[in-house]
Amino acid sequence: MLSYILYVDLTNKSVKIRRRAKLFSKYLGGTGVAIRLLLEECPPNVDPFSPEAPIIVAAGPLTGLLPCCTKTVCMFKSPLTGNLGETHAGGRLASAIRFAGFGAIVIKGFADKLTYLTISDHNISFHDAAALKGQPPSETEKALRIPNVEGLQSVVSIGLAGEKLAWYADANVDMYNHFGRLGLGAIFASKNLKAISITGTGEISAVNADTLKLLYEDLYQEAEKKGGMKKYHDLGTMENVLVLNELNALPTKNFTSGKFDFAEDISGEAFAEKQMIRKISCPGCPIACMHIAALKIPFAAQHEIGPIFLRYDYEPVYALGSNLLIRDQNDVLKLILLADEYGLDAMMLGTVLAWVTEAYEKGLISNSETLNVKPSWGDVESYAQITENIVKMPNLFYTKLAQGVAAASEKYGGRDFAMAIGKNGLSGYLTGYASLLGTLVGARHSHNSNAGYSIDQESCKSSITYSEMVTKLIEEENWRCVQTSLVICLFARNIYTEEKVAEALKLVGINRSVDDLKKLGGEIFQNQYKFKFREGFDFHKENLPNRIFETPTMTGKLDKKMFTNMLASYISKRFRRRGSEKEF
Amino acid sequence: MPEKVWVDRPERCIGCYSCVYACSRELFGTTSASRTAIFVRTGKSLEDRFHVVVCITCKDPPCAVACKKEALQAKPEGGVTLVASKCVDCKNFECLSACAIGALTLDPKTKKPIICTECGLCAKYCPHEVLGFGEAGGP
Repeated sequence: MLSYILYVDLTNKSVKIRRRAKLFSKYLGGTGVAIRLLLEECPPNVDPFSPEAPIIVAAGPLTGLLPCCTKTVCMFKSPLTGNLGETHAGGRLASAIRFAGFGAIVIKGFADKLTYLTISDHNISFHDAAALKGQPPSETEKALRIPNVEGLQSVVSIGLAGEKLAWYADANVDMYNHFGRLGLGAIFASKNLKAISITGTGEISAVNADTLKLLYEDLYQEAEKKGGMKKYHDLGTMENVLVLNELNALPTKNFTSGKFDFAEDISGEAFAEKQMIRKISCPGCPIACMHIAALKIPFAAQHEIGPIFLRYDYEPVYALGSNLLIRDQNDVLKLILLADEYGLDAMMLGTVLAWVTEAYEKGLISNSETLNVKPSWGDVESYAQITENIVKMPNLFYTKLAQGVAAASEKYGGRDFAMAIGKNGLSGYLTGYASLLGTLVGARHSHNSNAGYSIDQESCKSSITYSEMVTKLIEEENWRCVQTSLVICLFARNIYTEEKVAEALKLVGINRSVDDLKKLGGEIFQNQYKFKFREGFDFHKENLPNRIFETPTMTGKLDKKMFTNMLASYISKRFRRRGSEKEF
Repeated sequence: MPEKVWVDRPERCIGCYSCVYACSRELFGTTSASRTAIFVRTGKSLEDRFHVVVCITCKDPPCAVACKKEALQAKPEGGVTLVASKCVDCKNFECLSACAIGALTLDPKTKKPIICTECGLCAKYCPHEVLGFGEAGGP
């Protein structure tokens, strides 16, 4: 059963291990435990880059035991939003943490030199990372990976964007996964932490091995044999390109349209046919949702070539493809590669590049800001130069770009087409009110918080009132708080029904009814908002770029007044007890 | 003819560990990447292909030959059985290094080698047809 938390102090190069069985039995793991630890460990109103600001990493009680329980949750104070930083990653990390005997890791302090941390079961050591300085995650990963290791190893590392404190730098996990959102990479760097390697040789146990085998078989059949997750195995999330384009919901040219004329060129089908060379799974999941492409980069005559293997998914392809009017697969992959190698959130990079293009077109910025780079739709070379400058920050303009579109548009104008909500670059769903409201109210301002896009799609098929949409968003986020505490991959959300989750928890000695779990989900959400309100979050102060009320979505053009009413309804339903949105 | 497991299509491995975890569940009732008789090994990078290793049931098993205590006994059909009572006070674990493909590891709890029981669950749970299981196949 989950009990142990590893506390790492980079300043003193010391660690302690504490037993926190009650914390795990009450809040399960993942999101539930991480937010409690963040509330405990993060001083109010602390500078996100302060040594006192913690990084919390949490696995879950079902990690490794049952199919698709593979994700790791990371929380911190985000430099991008100045508020709750929450980002989830697949890969080998959750299993490695559990095999090493831990449920969560808390990292604080500031190392005197650039450092990498190795955790090998309960042996923890600090190493000089001077030789890794400036290295992309792919090289750092190779440096730290132990071939044919006993047990399971995971490597988390940052790139140059993190080292330079770009506010949306990400942390790479095991080459093809990312703690992508809200700037964890910069938080690593602010602690002089380049990478973590964690290796576990232990085991994860259930209360009853026979019940474990039966439930595993049941869920494996659902996931693998009955096709419950076929989409993610076949084309992966990239299936969305043509589906959403057909629905007029594929963000194109900085959200000026939901239709991309060349969607077929960058579709999941086209990538699978032309670029994909393999699929990879997280340990403990038979689905293999990671779709890996081979990008051939010719560099000299006589057919000299440097092959690159990289993962592609819907969100980066929308952000660095249709949203920039890029139709060539290789060009999209080149930009994904740059994001990967520098260690930048590919989605936010796309948001920034789209804003830059439009701001330049509209004359809000000129060559003196861009240092003579001329951004233009579909021009991958100019986007590559801008990306390099974002990371290297040669002037104030690029420094602002490295802080995201909220900061850049505050300085240079163009807030109406700075396509971020809650300062986080928008996901690729131009579907309607639920998606929009869901992103604003979601604790991590992600489409994954509460699946508004899915509620919008439902609203096309059946009549749902706006009030019902709000209720659905609340119920969905509460339940997702349970799923991300276990930590079930959200791709498997449909095979883990409420009853299955309650049954699964019995395997690890946790007896909770479905109703209890739903209440717990609500409590976890409230804990997230306790942190958000404490750090100054205010629904009414967040910028809503006007474009979202101008461009027709899948469900038509959105009305600002209707949206405001839905937000008011949400606040009163969510925080109704004492009438104030900051009270629960 | 007894049934056996073999690595049939190594290039298809997706690194999901379904085989490994099926093995540890069956043999020990837990999930582990260490307490298992089948391994998905990773090289110096996740860019590399995965390397799946399981006992190939040699006819004249070098692990049995190497064991000075006769704790590993060759089976007539190939492969070995472990006589646990004889596998004691060993310091060099020559059985492990005798296996060219590294199919033997020690159970970290008992300090005895983990022997594949040829139950076939690893193959059953492989979603990508990497593993074969049956009477006839294998090298």
